Formats: sequence, structure tokens, C-alpha cells
Amino acid sequence: MAPPIPEATPELVAGVIAAVVAFLTVSVLLGFLMRKKAKNFEEWLVGHGDIGPFITGFALIASYLSGWAIFGNAGLGYAYGWAGSWLIGTMCIMGMALCLVIGYRMRRYVGLGARTVPEMLRVRFESRVVQALAGLAMIVLLIVYSVGQYKAMATVWTITTNTSFYWSLMATAILVLVYIAIGGYTGTQWVSCFQGIVLTIVGWTLGIVALNWAGGPTNITEVMRTESFTVPGGNATQIPLSDYTLSLPPPEGLTFPGLDWIGVTAAIFMFLFMATGFPHNVARFLGTRKITKREYWVMLLILIVGGLTPLWIGAVGFAARAVWGNALMAGKYQPMYGDSAATFVSISAGGVPLASLFAAGVFAASVATLAGMVMIMATNITRDLIHNMRPTVSSTKLLWLTRFMLIPFIAIPLWWTFTSPPPILSEFMAGSAVAQAGIFFFVVGVSMYWKRATKWGAIATIIYGLVLTVLHPNAYGKQIGLYHWGYWALLLMFGSAFIYFFVSLGTKPLSEEKLRKLFPKQNTS
Amino acid sequence: MKVYIFLAIMILCIILVPVTAYLLKEWYAYWSHALLAIIFSVLAVLMKTSYYWEED
Repeated sequence: MAPPIPEATPELVAGVIAAVVAFLTVSVLLGFLMRKKAKNFEEWLVGHGDIGPFITGFALIASYLSGWAIFGNAGLGYAYGWAGSWLIGTMCIMGMALCLVIGYRMRRYVGLGARTVPEMLRVRFESRVVQALAGLAMIVLLIVYSVGQYKAMATVWTITTNTSFYWSLMATAILVLVYIAIGGYTGTQWVSCFQGIVLTIVGWTLGIVALNWAGGPTNITEVMRTESFTVPGGNATQIPLSDYTLSLPPPEGLTFPGLDWIGVTAAIFMFLFMATGFPHNVARFLGTRKITKREYWVMLLILIVGGLTPLWIGAVGFAARAVWGNALMAGKYQPMYGDSAATFVSISAGGVPLASLFAAGVFAASVATLAGMVMIMATNITRDLIHNMRPTVSSTKLLWLTRFMLIPFIAIPLWWTFTSPPPILSEFMAGSAVAQAGIFFFVVGVSMYWKRATKWGAIATIIYGLVLTVLHPNAYGKQIGLYHWGYWALLLMFGSAFIYFFVSLGTKPLSEEKLRKLFPKQNTS
Repeated sequence: MKVYIFLAIMILCIILVPVTAYLLKEWYAYWSHALLAIIFSVLAVLMKTSYYWEED
């Protein structure tokens, strides 16, 4: 007999709050400790350029694993079955390896004065316009990404404390403010490393426990063969969940990436490009010291162990589906639906200890990420737009303005999640991920290696990527007949690639003398 | 020459992701994607450390 879907208990509430407070305390202590060592704000951002492979590796894991991977993947597995695997990112380690191989060159730009990704672009192209545009693009795309983080933490809070979803959203916003106010937003490599270790432990533990709880992989497979797709709200269809594609009915169904092999192809390329395309990922290398070949392999090992975490969380969703069927898709669980699967499994399979550990993991992945993104967006306004255009503005004014800008960047995604929370958060966040992959893989990643890239190529790519983002099938794409997610994503990513190379080749690059500074002759061994 | 062989295997790893999903299905496909990704990443780092290593 299947275990019942659990309810919140006083012990659970106490356990979750204790775990979140403990996590918050360690993060803040680490942040303060490292801040004390730094002489100024710039050192605080990138350290002394002395961060080793272990810290960099796990920091990269922390910035890559957001509420999508550590929480939303279970919702994908639960709602879409095997076809959800394409957004779970079963091959995401490929993209992370590309980021490891490409991103290391970010170090070179620290020596040339860059402290953030948009600043790196200003140095690379000698263009303040590229810096400002990149900052603007990051704001737009990170707001979308922040909505998913809100939903992740609010869902955990709702289930574990029995608070309404909307009050849980408010609690999440307050947690973000507290986190920022007491200095946990630092995002220093040490705090990120700690978060990366927590996320990896949580993902592996919950995944293994869930498989056992659901009667093992064979039992899950057999039950999944009998399950069919259920629309959020509770309407069951006859579409089986047993295949790696899910032929959902048009027009709404066309927005699902696992609909057909076109969508699958787009999802594969999204995962190949997005780890390098996430500006907050490649920024991890800004504080890294020179790495030996052996240490490079250590970083790869860390990425492989951490990169398997999303697969374990996806497996939790399959386990929940095998045990509870489509119960979590009922209207009763609105607006959480399948996204609630991981939290319920953590309570049912592991009791208070595992549920508390999972809550700390989601806190690490969503609230800490959200706080980091809010800070990045506020800095994009002050550092990449205002200070960039008017360098005479005093640093005191900029600091106060940064603090003031935190308010809208906490409030905008909060309001979005409040008024129209996405039914499956990972599916929603994939829209932003495609855009970040399409724009920044080329503008940041390729530009570090391709001398012929020009500022006009970068500008045209950012503008094209942003226009295509607005034409997402769930936004304005329908108005021009763009209903299919796969076509949209391929058009965005490969259209960005075409424009980047085509415009760059048609315009003048930096002079040879300037390029020599950015691409010094190397002795390769 | 070896670089091209590595590149060819890496591209093959990407192509095999949907192929294994179509042919193997269920858990076999799920974890085979992870295995293909690990092979891809080992080759990527091997190429970097063997042929494109950068000295400061």
C-alpha cells in the first residue's frame, strides 16, 4: 500500500527552520570571514586571484545548480515522465565540461581590470555600449530566472510549514532580504563552495533514498509504463508517460521541449551552451589562481560528481509518480502541482532529518541564488549602466543606489510569481536559459578565443537574442505563428551564432596591437 | 590527428544522446546519457590539457 502524501507537523516546522537558520549562519560566517581578509570591494568580489581547484569546482556547481536543478527537476520527472529528462538535463555534464575548458580564460581579463562579466566584455571589445547592453540583457533574463527561484522556495515553505503559498512567497522575499542584509549575498567562492557541497550531498542522498522508498528502479519503470499525462488541475489524458517524447496536443502542447525530436535537439544544444552562457557561471573563474594539469582533472571530477545531482533529483520525480500516481497534479495542489514532488518525497521517505536537509538545499539553491541575482541586477544598473556612462558619479552614491535598486529587483519577480506562478518552474526557466545560452555562449565564451569577433557582432547578437526571447511561444511568439518551443530555441541559439559570426566578419576588429594584449602568444605544451 | 579523433568521439557522444533515448528507453537511456556526458567531458579536458594548455 502506498504511503499517504504527508502533512506538516510541528517537528517538521522546527526541523526546517533550524536547518535554514544553520545554513544561513554558516554562509554568513564564511562570507564575513572572507570579507575581513579582503582589503576592498574588488578584492571581495574576486579575492586575491588565489582560489584553488576544489573551491572553484564546487562554486561552479553551486552557481549552476539553481532551484531548477535541485528542486524543479523532480517536477519534470513527475509531470512528464521520461520525456521530462530533456529538461532535467541528463547530459548537462557535457555543457559543464565546456564551461570548464572555455571559462578558465576569464582569469586573463582580471589582470586587465575586469571584475564582472560585462566589464570583461568592455575590455574585450573596448566598448562601453557592449558592457551596458550585456548588463541590460542580464537584467531581463535574470528576472525570469528569479521567478523560478521564488516558486521553489515558496513551495518548500508551503508544504513544510503549512503556510499558504502566497504567504510563503512573502516569507521567501523576507529571507532574501535578511540574507542580503546580513551579508550572505557575497557570493564569494568560499560561500558558493559550501553551497555546492550541500547541494551535491542533498541531491545524491534524496535520489538514492527515493529510489529505495519507491520499491527500486524496476518497480518505478513498471508503474511508469501504466501512467499517462495529466494536465495541471487534474484532467488525465490517454498520452502515455513511457516514452522519451510526449505528443502533447497543440497549441499549448507545442511549447513543451520533449514534444518531438526537434524539441529534443534544441534542448540538447541548450544544455551544451548554457553552462558557459550563464554569466554567473563563467564569473567563477575570475578569482581562480593558475591551475596545474592535475588540478584541472580534480575540477573535472568535482563537476562530474556535482553534475550528476540533477539526475538524482529527476529520479525523485519518477519515484513520486510511481508511488502517488497523478495525485499531485490535482487542483488541491495549485499552483505547486508536480513541483511539490521532491518536498513530499523528502518528508515521506526520510522524515524530519531528510526534509530539513532538503529544505536547506533548496534554500541554498534558490534563496542564495535569488539574492545573488538580485545583487547582480542591481550592480548591472549602477556599475554597467550608470557608472559606465557617467564615471564621475561618486562611489558613495553608487553604493546607495545599489541598495535602493535591490527593492525593485526583489519586488518584480515576486509580483510575477504572485500573479502568475508557472505550473512547472523548470519549463518556465528554460526560456531564460535558452536566451542566456544563445547570447552569452558566443558573446562571452567564443569571444575569449576568437580574435576576429567585433563589438558590432556582439551588439547585434545581444539585440537579436533579446528580440527572440520576447518571441517565446508563451509570450509574443504566437502572434507571428511561432508556437513550437524547439523551432524557437533553435532559431534563437543558431540565429545568434549566425549573426555573431556574420556581423563580426563584416566589421572591423580591434587593432593588432590591442589584440596582442588580449591574445598574447602562448607556449602550448 | 589524435585531436580530430577526440573531436569525432565527442560529436558521436552528442549524437548518441537522442539515439539511446530512442533505442534503449527508460533507466538505461537515462543513465547512458550521463555516461556519454562523462566520456565527452573527459575527452574535452584531455584535449585541453594535452594540446591546448595555456601557460600564464
